[in-house]
This record gives sequence, C-alpha cells and structure tokens, in this order.
Amino acid sequence: MAGILVMVLITGIDVVGAKIFLWRLFGAIDMVQLSQIVAIAFACAFTLIVGRHVRVEFLVARLPRRAQGVIDSFVSLLGLGLFILIIWRLYVLGHTFQTTGESTPTAYIPLYPFAYGIALASIPVCLLFLQELISSLAKVVKR
Amino acid sequence: MSPVTIGIIGIVVMLIMFLLRLPIAFAMALVGFAGFAYLSTTQAAFGILARDIFEQFYSYPLSVIPMFIIMGTFAYASGISRRLYDTAYTWVGQLRGGLTIATVFACAGFGAICGSSTATAATMGKIALPEMKRYNYDDTLATGTVAASGTLGILIPPSTVLIVYGILTEESIGKLFIAGLLPGILLSIFFAAAVFLICLRNPALGPPGAPTSWGKKARSLTGVIETLILFGLVIGGLFLGWFSPTQAGAIGALGAIVIGLARRELNWRAFYEATKDGLLTSCMVLFIITGATIFGHFMAISRIPFVLADWLGGLPLPTMGIVGIISFIFFIGGFFMDSMALIVLLIPIIYPLLVSLNIDLIWFGVIVVLLGEMGVITPPVGVNVFVIKGIAPDVPLESIFKGIMPFLVALIICLLILMAFPQIATFLPSFARY
Repeated sequence: MAGILVMVLITGIDVVGAKIFLWRLFGAIDMVQLSQIVAIAFACAFTLIVGRHVRVEFLVARLPRRAQGVIDSFVSLLGLGLFILIIWRLYVLGHTFQTTGESTPTAYIPLYPFAYGIALASIPVCLLFLQELISSLAKVVKR
Repeated sequence: MSPVTIGIIGIVVMLIMFLLRLPIAFAMALVGFAGFAYLSTTQAAFGILARDIFEQFYSYPLSVIPMFIIMGTFAYASGISRRLYDTAYTWVGQLRGGLTIATVFACAGFGAICGSSTATAATMGKIALPEMKRYNYDDTLATGTVAASGTLGILIPPSTVLIVYGILTEESIGKLFIAGLLPGILLSIFFAAAVFLICLRNPALGPPGAPTSWGKKARSLTGVIETLILFGLVIGGLFLGWFSPTQAGAIGALGAIVIGLARRELNWRAFYEATKDGLLTSCMVLFIITGATIFGHFMAISRIPFVLADWLGGLPLPTMGIVGIISFIFFIGGFFMDSMALIVLLIPIIYPLLVSLNIDLIWFGVIVVLLGEMGVITPPVGVNVFVIKGIAPDVPLESIFKGIMPFLVALIICLLILMAFPQIATFLPSFARY
C-alpha cells in the first residue's frame, strides 16, 4: 500500500513544485515507476485472495461440486505453472540487469532489485495456487 | 499449420480458459506465451514474458491508472458521493421517480470524479437503495437504475476504460476524456427521461417525495461545489495542458484527501480502506493489461489482426457498415466479458483495421465505452448487476436484469445518435491542448 501512496505523493509534490515554485523533484518519474512495480507486484497475491482478479464465473458455478473440483484443480495447475515460469524468468531478467548495470534514466537507480522483487512477490501467488490445487483435489476425492 | 490457424486455436483455447474460471489476465498471459513460443522460439517467448511483465509494471504512461482509481476511492471515502446524492434529491426528489432520477444525476456527478463503473454503482447503490426502499420504490426500477447509472462512471471523465483504450491506441487520454463529456451528459439525460417515462406510466413504481423550497435547493448546492472544483481542476487542467494525465490523477487524489480532511469525514480507517481498495483494483487492471500485452505479441506474430483488417476492409460495405459489424462483435462479447477485458482483447486485433479505414479513434473510443457499458449490465456476465445484487441480496437477479432493460434501450439510442452525429464526441476534443 505504501507504493501507491508514494506514487501519489511524489507526483503531487513534483506538480505543485513545478507549477508554483518552479522547482522539479529530482527523479520523480523514476520513483513513480519503481513504486508502481512494488505496489502492483506485491498486491497480486492479496488481489487473488480477495477474488478481485476478473474471472468468468457463470459456467463453472452451475456445475456439480465434483466437476467444479476437477476444473479448479486444472486451473490451479495452470496458474501455478505460469507463476513458476514468471519467478524463474524474472529472476533471470534481474540477473541480466545486474550484470549489464541497467538503471533508471534520471536518478540512475539500479533496476535489478525490482526485477528480483517481482519474482519474490510471485512466490505467495504460487503458494496460493498450490493451496487451491490441494483443496480442489480434496473436493474431487471427497465423497 | 499456418500462423493464422495457430492464432485462431489460441483464441479458442483462451476463451475456454476464461470459461474454466482462470483469471482473465493469467489466461491471456499463458496463451500468449505458449502461442508465441510455438510460432517463434521458446527462448524468445521467455524473453517476451519477463520483459512484458517488467515493462508494464515499470511503465510511466500506465501509472495514470492507479492515480485515477485511487482518486475515485478517496472521493468515496471523503463522503463526496453522499453529498452529491443529497443535492440531487433536493432538486428532483419531488418528481415522479424523483429518488431514481436523483440517483442517475448523482451517479453522473460521481462519474466526474471516479473512473470506474463498478465503483460508481457500488458507491451509489449503498446510498440510494436503502432510501428508495424506505420510500416504497419498486425493487426492479431501483436496482436497475443504480446498475445502469453506474456505467456513467466510465463515460463521464475520468474513465479507466478510456485510459486503457488511449494507451492501446496511443491516442491522447486528455482528448478522450473530453470526448466522453457531452455523450455522458446526453446519456444521463436519457437515463433520467427513461425513469420519468416509466413512472409516468405507472406512478406506483416511484412515488414522488416531499417538495423542497427554492431556498433549500440553493443551500443544497454546497454539496456539489467540491465536486465541481475537483472536476474543474483535474479535467480542466488536462484540457488546458497544465498537467499530464498521471499528474492530473495525482492532483485529483490529493484533492479528494484534502476535501475529506476539511469536511472531517476522512478518518484513518476510511483512508486505509480507500488505499487498499484502490490498490487492489489497480493491480487487477494492470495485470489484465500485462496479460493482454503478452497475448498481443502472439496475435501480432500470428498475423490475425492484419488478415482480419484486410478481410473486413475488403467487404463491399461503407465504413459505417464495418463500424456496425465491429460494434456488434463488441456487443456480443460484452455478454460474456467485463468491459476492460473486452477492450484489451479486441482493440489490438481491430486497431490496424481502424487505422486503415481512417476512423476517428477518439470518436471510436466513446463508441467502445458505450458498448462496454452495455456489457457490464447485460447477462450472463453483467458485473454491475452482480455488484447491486451484493448490496440488495433480497432482490432476485432476474429482477435486476429486467430493471436494466429501459436503460439498455437508452444506451442503444445514444449509441445510434453518436454514430449519426460523431461531432457530439469530437467537438470538444478539437479545443484540447493535451
């Protein structure tokens, strides 16, 4: 949550500074971009927990409990696979950034910790899909 | 198999994944990655997956989305929505269906500071539905009105859907915002007229409230001053080129906080809830855009958009006929998908066609929003209807869907008028500087 508040605050200070005091906040855009990474990546797991990621509900909800369990297991497996891939590839991207020394254009803040950060933030998402997979399988097996 | 065939298979697989309840953002990313890997190389697809995720989260143009979303949540937490409703009721409450007409105008007012249809419907639903119940308003009319009027949130600027459309088509977000203003006012009037006509035919559906004096009416206007100031600052600032869209959103969010503090409505708990709500919605939207970007790379390599553009462009139809076909595709898609998801899925596919036909993309953005509005209130996936069902659990879903029908007709009439007179959308943007 701090990430999104920092985005608003930094942009606000930058605008007011530029329009009223003719003073720009150094690296404001860089900081907004990096705060956005932190805010969005680390909110993904919680967004999934509270069911805010948009899903098409009308078909599966009408199926019997057991069929729902089979479908949910499959879907959880797909989600788990996707996020394992994301962790791996974002880690590789972070390593590339680290070796090439990639940074933001104004404040020269290194980018690699933020790529690693997205990978790190994806771990709880994987755990959620894993938990969903186990509970869906239990629904299938349970009489 | 040809790339086009692979592309079509990819679309079908993705739709199946949607139906199986995989979150839309993840389904698009997964199919986009797999399709790109098949048509290109696995190594290239790995690169696309990581780069797209990082670049979308890191994107400064996309930061406009969290800014305007959080502006809306802070506006709600600051009690602006309740004061808008009170003012609207003081002015039109004594008419037949007065409470519902007040709801329409309060939704339009809240739409001027909030860019989300579900947020507008949820916010106004919580305020208006208990009032309408208290005055014995018909449940179908009451719930249908709030569900439909909530859609004004994505037409009257600011609008999250127009922001995303602007990013996908590289059109000026400021001009798109301004373009939605007159159609939004027109649609609000149509919605209010629909309510008035319904209650004229059957007065029992919406009994008139007690009349209010002109003095009370004038005093109630203090409830809209803050909205006008905030709207004027944000949209006026964009219109005159003072702010970029991201800056305008941040100023709007800070303005809403200041109003809440000045009115002593924004306490720590409300601030926390508003920030959390804004963050979760922003996360959902940014993930959808990221998924759509990955899927868009797959579509581009499959050449489907270009083949579709050639095929539709080669049809012996005038431009408006082709726009009609595209609109119909959006209309049908809206039955099954959320407006945001529909736009991020279809716009990259039809964009080359729109460009080749020289269609005014600002005007088309407004058309797309109107079609998206129909999508969020039509079954089986009418998000706004589900939101209202959550607020009024005792009203059957069928009744709410029945209640939106007059508003759907109003939306279709508004759409046809905009197609016949595009100037309604394009007149104001011609003066915009951003």
